Amino acid sequence: MNDQAVTYNYKVVSQFAIMTVVWGIVGMLVGVYIAAEMAWPLLNFDLPWLSFGRLRPLHTNAVIFAFGGSALFACSYYVVQRTCHVRLISDRLAAFTFWGWQAVILSAAISLPLGYTSSKEYAELEWPIDILITIVWLAYAYVFFGTIFKRRIKHIYVANWFFGAFILTIAMLHVVNSAAVPVSIMKSYSAYAGVQDAMVQWWYGHNAVGFFLTAGFLGIMYYFIPKQAERPVYSYRLSVVHFWALSFTYIWAGPHHLHYTALPDWTQSLGMVFSLILLAPSWGGMINGIMTLSGAWEKLRSDPILKFLVVSVSFYGMSTFEGPMMAIKTVNALSHYTDWTIGHVHSGALGWVAMISIGAMYHLIPRLFGVEIHSKKLIETHFWMATVGIVLYITAMWISGIMQGLMWRAVNADGTLTYSFVESVQATHPFYIIRFLGGLVFLSGMILMAYNVLKTVVRGKVVTAAIPAPAAAH
Amino acid sequence: MMLSHIYGLFTSPREEWRSIRAENCTIGKCYCSYVFILAAIPPVSGYFGTTLFGWEIGGREAIKLSPDSALIIALSYYLVMLVGIFSVGFMIHWMGKTYGTEQPLPRCMSLAAYVATPMFFVGIFEIMPILWLNFVLGLPALAYTVYLLYTGVPVMMEISEERGFLFSSAVLAVGLVTLVTVLAATAILWGSGFAPQFVD
Repeated sequence: MNDQAVTYNYKVVSQFAIMTVVWGIVGMLVGVYIAAEMAWPLLNFDLPWLSFGRLRPLHTNAVIFAFGGSALFACSYYVVQRTCHVRLISDRLAAFTFWGWQAVILSAAISLPLGYTSSKEYAELEWPIDILITIVWLAYAYVFFGTIFKRRIKHIYVANWFFGAFILTIAMLHVVNSAAVPVSIMKSYSAYAGVQDAMVQWWYGHNAVGFFLTAGFLGIMYYFIPKQAERPVYSYRLSVVHFWALSFTYIWAGPHHLHYTALPDWTQSLGMVFSLILLAPSWGGMINGIMTLSGAWEKLRSDPILKFLVVSVSFYGMSTFEGPMMAIKTVNALSHYTDWTIGHVHSGALGWVAMISIGAMYHLIPRLFGVEIHSKKLIETHFWMATVGIVLYITAMWISGIMQGLMWRAVNADGTLTYSFVESVQATHPFYIIRFLGGLVFLSGMILMAYNVLKTVVRGKVVTAAIPAPAAAH
Repeated sequence: MMLSHIYGLFTSPREEWRSIRAENCTIGKCYCSYVFILAAIPPVSGYFGTTLFGWEIGGREAIKLSPDSALIIALSYYLVMLVGIFSVGFMIHWMGKTYGTEQPLPRCMSLAAYVATPMFFVGIFEIMPILWLNFVLGLPALAYTVYLLYTGVPVMMEISEERGFLFSSAVLAVGLVTLVTVLAATAILWGSGFAPQFVD
């Protein structure tokens, strides 16, 4: 037997794992910079490519698709091999997904500051890049599902169900939402018009949250939390119920992004109701994570990675409660277009997605390179920096968001507005500074992580891990 | 006298938690001699702050609330805090079993009540209703509240530090969810005709 049949492909996993750290820093650095621009607008230096409008999509694309995407690729490739006891179906295609995905990120990093945009939120990239994404994604689906098909363990572990749902749904969402009529090499118009376009966009947009930033990361949770805690999942039955309930419900919640717009009222109400129902499966998942971790308390003293996982699941619970609240029309009437939304997004993105990714990377990288982590103490420091950063960020945005909402709707007895818009901007300024500081602390934690990871990987090299021999009865 | 614990909570929290535990206070006594008094600090300061001093935006005359309107807000604020402390205390009691400890409800109530001490005190600054200033002053109080929670849970619930870390994180999550509920409830009430009245 040759090497290929008896070892796992760790090369592609380690490439994606390293790029998770790199893109995390790049994406968050851009985020901190635009946070500073909000507080001190002169930082755009009158350069178009440094302006908020162009850097903001760069920030969101970099953190969601480059940082989050690399973490998802790394973890799904690792988990699918380890739980199926088989090497990835094709090393060449797996390598293609790595280089292809990096090419997508680089094209985004160049085209967005130059001002090329489809103007669809979280789907700003122009049509040639969209086609590249589709090709890379189909290759990803082939590698992932192909590996599942040739598995040597009959049972498909629940994490793989979440990864599978994420890969399939993102393929569908991306192709439908990015359908466009090209007019030149870097300009196209959406295939849909008016409110249909808006509805398709937020069907995509909310499920980018639901499947990219939730289902995929739940796959990470269901593998790495039991692994790090060295205990089985609290309730496997609950995890299966969680999977089907979440997959069915999420897809309907998109219209809550379009409350009080030209979208038919019943569609808005439908979106609101499904958003409220969504609380149940979300909390099912949170309870499963928390209960799995709650038995591993004696390991906490020696294992700072567990702290990242504990806090990430807590933030998952909090933000999946906040989301349905904000989807209630009356609340949304106040919260929409304010910083409350930004705070909510970041309690999900920093608290849940980034924390669990960081925890998974600290688990993964030493195992991939066959060495101990350089410093546990630095992980501990990173944990506290990340937590302080998030708390500063979210509390500042909560207060400024509520304040903006209340100021914008305040009216005098004669019906005129109590405040002008610029007065609300002035009142928001101190909170922008605090948000910038919170982001800066979080980013500094990431830089610490990069140092720790660098010191770790230079001591080792990617290990050749043998696949366990199949059980005799199989 | 329960107020006597305040000083100790700021100087030597771990020992103070032990003496609070030894006291074995009832819910009634805990509320009457501690929560009812201290929880009044933020609404009372807020009432005087918003009616007497108000806040200024962009150099125009200070904006104030009418006394009637401020009174209603202060009373609901007070009520929300009393209910908030109670529900967090109840949740601590309810979650105990998960973290390998079952303590009587009164003890969980006093844990919730004493943890909130810094937040009660920082409420005094609401006499100057300048939102960003209250926020900046509130941050250290919030940090100390979280510190009290993490030191208090192992002592009051009689579990190890590590188990306490998990338990405290769960309590923190409950606290955050309670906070978000209050935010959403405020938004709904405000949008349903309960907006405050301003003085022109």
